[in-house]
Amino acid sequence: MADSVAVKPLEAVTEPPRGGGHRSTKRSRREARAAYLFLAPWFAGLLVITIGPILASLYLSFTDYSLLQEAEWVGFDNYVKMFTEDPRYINSLKVTTIYVVVSVPLQLAFALALALVLDRGLRGLAIYRSIFYLPSLLGGSVAIAILWRKVFGADGLVNALLGAFGIQGPGWVGHPDYALGTLIILHVWTFGAPMIIFLAGLRQIPSSYYEAAAVDGAGPLRQFKSITLPLLTPIIFFNLVLEIIKSFQSFTQSFIVSNGTGGPADSTLFYTLYLYLNGFRDYDMGYAAAMAWVLLLIIAGLTGVNFLASKYWVFYGDTK
Amino acid sequence: MSSGKKMWSATLLATAVLAVTAACGSDSGGESADGKVKVRFSYWGSDARQKMTEEAIKKFEAKNPNIDIEGEFSDFGSYYETLATKVAGNDAPDVITIEIRGLREYAERGALADLAGKVNATDIDAKVLATGAIDGKQYAIPTGVNAFSLVVNPDLVEKNGQKLPDDAKWTWEDYIDLASKITAESGGKVFGTQQSFNPGYLEIFAAQRGEKFYQGNKLGISPDTLKAWWSNMQTLIKTKGTPDAAKSVEIGAQSVDQSLLGTNTGAMGMWWSNQLGAINKASGQDVSLLRMPKAEGAATGGMFLQPAMLYTASSKSEHPAEAAKFIDFMINDPEAGEIILSDRGLPASSKVLAAVKEKLPETDIKTLDFIDEVRSELSDPPAAPPKGASGMEDILTRYSEEILFGRMTPDDAAQKFLTEANASIAG
Repeated sequence: MADSVAVKPLEAVTEPPRGGGHRSTKRSRREARAAYLFLAPWFAGLLVITIGPILASLYLSFTDYSLLQEAEWVGFDNYVKMFTEDPRYINSLKVTTIYVVVSVPLQLAFALALALVLDRGLRGLAIYRSIFYLPSLLGGSVAIAILWRKVFGADGLVNALLGAFGIQGPGWVGHPDYALGTLIILHVWTFGAPMIIFLAGLRQIPSSYYEAAAVDGAGPLRQFKSITLPLLTPIIFFNLVLEIIKSFQSFTQSFIVSNGTGGPADSTLFYTLYLYLNGFRDYDMGYAAAMAWVLLLIIAGLTGVNFLASKYWVFYGDTK
Repeated sequence: MSSGKKMWSATLLATAVLAVTAACGSDSGGESADGKVKVRFSYWGSDARQKMTEEAIKKFEAKNPNIDIEGEFSDFGSYYETLATKVAGNDAPDVITIEIRGLREYAERGALADLAGKVNATDIDAKVLATGAIDGKQYAIPTGVNAFSLVVNPDLVEKNGQKLPDDAKWTWEDYIDLASKITAESGGKVFGTQQSFNPGYLEIFAAQRGEKFYQGNKLGISPDTLKAWWSNMQTLIKTKGTPDAAKSVEIGAQSVDQSLLGTNTGAMGMWWSNQLGAINKASGQDVSLLRMPKAEGAATGGMFLQPAMLYTASSKSEHPAEAAKFIDFMINDPEAGEIILSDRGLPASSKVLAAVKEKLPETDIKTLDFIDEVRSELSDPPAAPPKGASGMEDILTRYSEEILFGRMTPDDAAQKFLTEANASIAG
């Protein structure tokens, strides 16, 4: 077996390209068949577990479906209701947008700053990297969301610290003006994943650029602005796209910190949480499905805009 | 060539594994391999509840060797979503535990079977039993009862220079007054009470003013009642009888262990009576139940019994007789009662209650005595709330928060609450 595997790629390379293209030898047909066979379980999974439900949810978004009864076709009613009769929906959009717009740039700035520090060639880099990455592993977890309530609660850690300076802090998680802020901080805190990617990006920049710049008398700030930042734009772009998508789909933080209500007074009602409440508490699956599709359109639209805009600021070394 | 053979056998193996897994997934009820009738029973709760339920199931199976009960257990947070999914997927458990606020959701959509005459309910208080009936059909059998009551830590009241109130005739003014005095006397270390946004509280408050929470498929509460209810909350915050709005909201979102009473930083609070044991345990103090305060000149105290949980049977069950038999065992058999005790509320069956009374923990005896004491004053248990009522507590909490943070005027909030709440139950 080992022999035949080792031989195959060689054969593939030495075989001349066939004219007309579509006819193949017995052997490669057999290989193709085997490949499809191996892929079959995955295809079946994709069809049954992913594409099937996606299409079903598209259909359901045009129905009134209570889960317990047959779905009933209602046309665009769900979509119309969202934007005309449901102030909570509009509010959930607002809350989510604020969350994304504030937390994503903050998180990326934080990740980049730390990556720059770590890139200086600290001793024990691997340890620091792991420590800073840890919050990303924990951030979406129930335990951290509960911890957050303890940290930002009326009698929590933050207020104890403020108390030491004689400041009486409010109950941050219980106050509609501050609750979303605590969730934004939680999100920024999970900067590990983009940090690692930035770090990898920084490592790609040839040190000769910096040496040349230093010879020409450029200070660290100038070097950062003229070398690091432009060469890092593809990485920044990648992180930006990824984090925007991820933050629009945030759910756990709000679900746990607000005990599944989006409170206080709907101030942390994330889009996905409202979707969940509609679907699984109020048994309004049709409406929830419609919400999911609008979210998909929003995210797809934003990602598209992101890609279009990237032409103007993302610099790929090999193109001008 | 040998590699080709290996490839084929590997693929076949993979397919076989998939087929087996798929078969496991679609195996829904019916008869087990050993010829036993399989009955699936879904419920939610803690690990402790799971253990005692499994024990009760074993007892039942020993008595009915031809029936195999399969417990389907999850925590409360995910219970209804899994249940709804199972029912939607034509994979409903045969016996389903449910709360009263979700009963109509399932009953009116044809998911539940009529249990009248199939489960012996003669030992259950007729009025309590009636809460499980909809349009003359007995869709659900109550497991046990609770009363929404005032919980007090007498020690903290007296330590702060106050006397326990005479709960037979105390008013809302007395309650607020007592709460703020306790806070003042303790220098802010202990709060008099904590806010409650529970619909049970509003139900009682409204009953004292002659109004029902639900009037058929609409809310029976007037804007004035809502405003008076919120006004009490605002006064409590102003007089520091409770913590400020932000802290009140924070505590409200947490479990009873984290409540002011549970952490010995508050002297009173309002809960369903089955929470007494948990509060007792969390605080390590001897807490007791009091009647809810009354509106001045009210004809009724408005307190009522409500089923803690209900057992229902799926209308699609292939083994309705066995499912009913199991429910009957759980409700009526003292042997089941001895295991479950008050875990599903104080047993609804008077016979079971009498049989297990000796074995109940002290807090349950206390609750039992309390309910016996107030029984003659209780209002009739309200009928199962309309469809969509599961979200009522959240709606009520949200508007209460708007009031407490001063983001809405009471007039405005009352109107908006009624509109939204009515819309949510009309669907």
